[in-house]
Amino acid sequence: MSVFQALLLGILYYLGNSSIVAGPVGYYTIYRPLIGGFLTGVILGDPVTGVMVGATINLMYIGFISAGGALPGDMCLAGILGAAMAITGGLDTEAALAIAVPIGLIGTLLWFGRLTLDSIFAHLADRYVERGEGHKVWIADVLLPQLMLFVLTAVPCFLAAYLGASHIEGAINALGGTVLGILIIIGGMMPALGIGLTLLYIFKGEARIFFFIGFLLAVYFGLSMIAVGFLALCCAIIYTQLKNAKGGEVNV
Amino acid sequence: MSENRLSKKEVRRSWLIWLFNNQANYNYERMMGIGFLHSMVPIAKKLYKDDVEKQKEMLKRHSGFFNCEPCLGSSIAGLTVAMEEQKAAGGNIEGDAITSVKTGLMGPISGIGDSVIQGVIVPLLLAFAIDMSSNGSVVWPIVYSLIMVAVVFGISYSLFMLGYKKGSDAILSILENGIVNKIIAGANIVGCMVLGALVANYVSMSCGIQIQQTAESVFNVQEQLFDTIVPKLLPLLLTLGCYQLLKKGLSSVKVLLIIVAVGAIGGLTGILG
Repeated sequence: MSVFQALLLGILYYLGNSSIVAGPVGYYTIYRPLIGGFLTGVILGDPVTGVMVGATINLMYIGFISAGGALPGDMCLAGILGAAMAITGGLDTEAALAIAVPIGLIGTLLWFGRLTLDSIFAHLADRYVERGEGHKVWIADVLLPQLMLFVLTAVPCFLAAYLGASHIEGAINALGGTVLGILIIIGGMMPALGIGLTLLYIFKGEARIFFFIGFLLAVYFGLSMIAVGFLALCCAIIYTQLKNAKGGEVNV
Repeated sequence: MSENRLSKKEVRRSWLIWLFNNQANYNYERMMGIGFLHSMVPIAKKLYKDDVEKQKEMLKRHSGFFNCEPCLGSSIAGLTVAMEEQKAAGGNIEGDAITSVKTGLMGPISGIGDSVIQGVIVPLLLAFAIDMSSNGSVVWPIVYSLIMVAVVFGISYSLFMLGYKKGSDAILSILENGIVNKIIAGANIVGCMVLGALVANYVSMSCGIQIQQTAESVFNVQEQLFDTIVPKLLPLLLTLGCYQLLKKGLSSVKVLLIIVAVGAIGGLTGILG
């Protein structure tokens, strides 16, 4: 990985965290490992591997809800560095996942730092309002916080990508094949946690049986996710219609 | 009085500022408060063009705590613009009333927004995109991103304008309408089914135990027991186990550590393979 490529990865990580990519849009796209992994692949010249690794890492964070409860982890950092390690270090997808998730946990420190330090600029905004300088509020809302965010995100990601990614292969080789085998087993199991976290929000009441129906459809009939999705849509419509007919009311 | 009315230009500007900058300065003290304040700046400037004191008064009102799911929360920003406009036109609205409507709507709207957008729309779209991308197809991350751009811009803009034009009654009536509950109930069903299929396709865990039956034949537990009855039984049990632990209140980091421990022990002993 060249310095320039590592620098681009740092900027990518900043953009994933920044609001300048149309506010929530960046959070729902670049911040997700699927997209972050893809873009990392583009930067490192191997978009196909980037997408594959990003997709797998994203499974862990599929039900990521910032409002709390979800896996505390910086999925953006996990996606970018996970894909970078897989591409430059030649790591298996599952092994990359098993390493990326702990990285995501470390990434949350940056989040705490950001939300704490941003309070300083909130008081600056107060001062502008107090002086009747409304036109300067953007300095306290966008300019300074975003500059700080850039330093807080781009620099660590650049360093981790530049220094870490190329050494990871050697480190794992030194540990031997058993470690890699175990990392692959753990990486294969991890998505269960990501799915379990999503279930917390939707595995409720009468909807529960549909979880097993979806599982069985995929296991016994080998249906793709899209096929299950369309069947699920039909099931949901029939279910609400039947429920309405039974209750005889418009409102469920 | 007409110069104190807002034109489409300021309203749109206020929406754009909200959309882009609601979390530009995200902090523990006021969360999105400064972003909200920023979105009110063009409104204050237009409504109280020649009166800096009144501008100050209005902006002070909006520099406090604000936290909401940003897409649906744009309806609150739109509503606030409408209330400020009414107040500036001599309407009978106290400043405190604006603040209390604003903060009162924050909770319920976040509740719906988080469960619909982050709990259903995004996971479902991601589940499909991840599935289509797992062979390395670069098209799907792009398709997913374009859909998200349309979803975010569409919801944010239309709700901002709904809040601005129709007011709090319209927002509340939509929230209390049974349709939202019906959509959430239906979405739960779709979500559950898709997650079930996701377990079958993407969680992998298999038993490595092999029992020597006779000199020649070996009983492979995974292939000859699990795979003949319910393939992927172990991933299903693992997922439900994670869910139960989380439901009991274990933190996700603890569950993660349990997975690492089980995987390491299982891998070393050969029980998992």
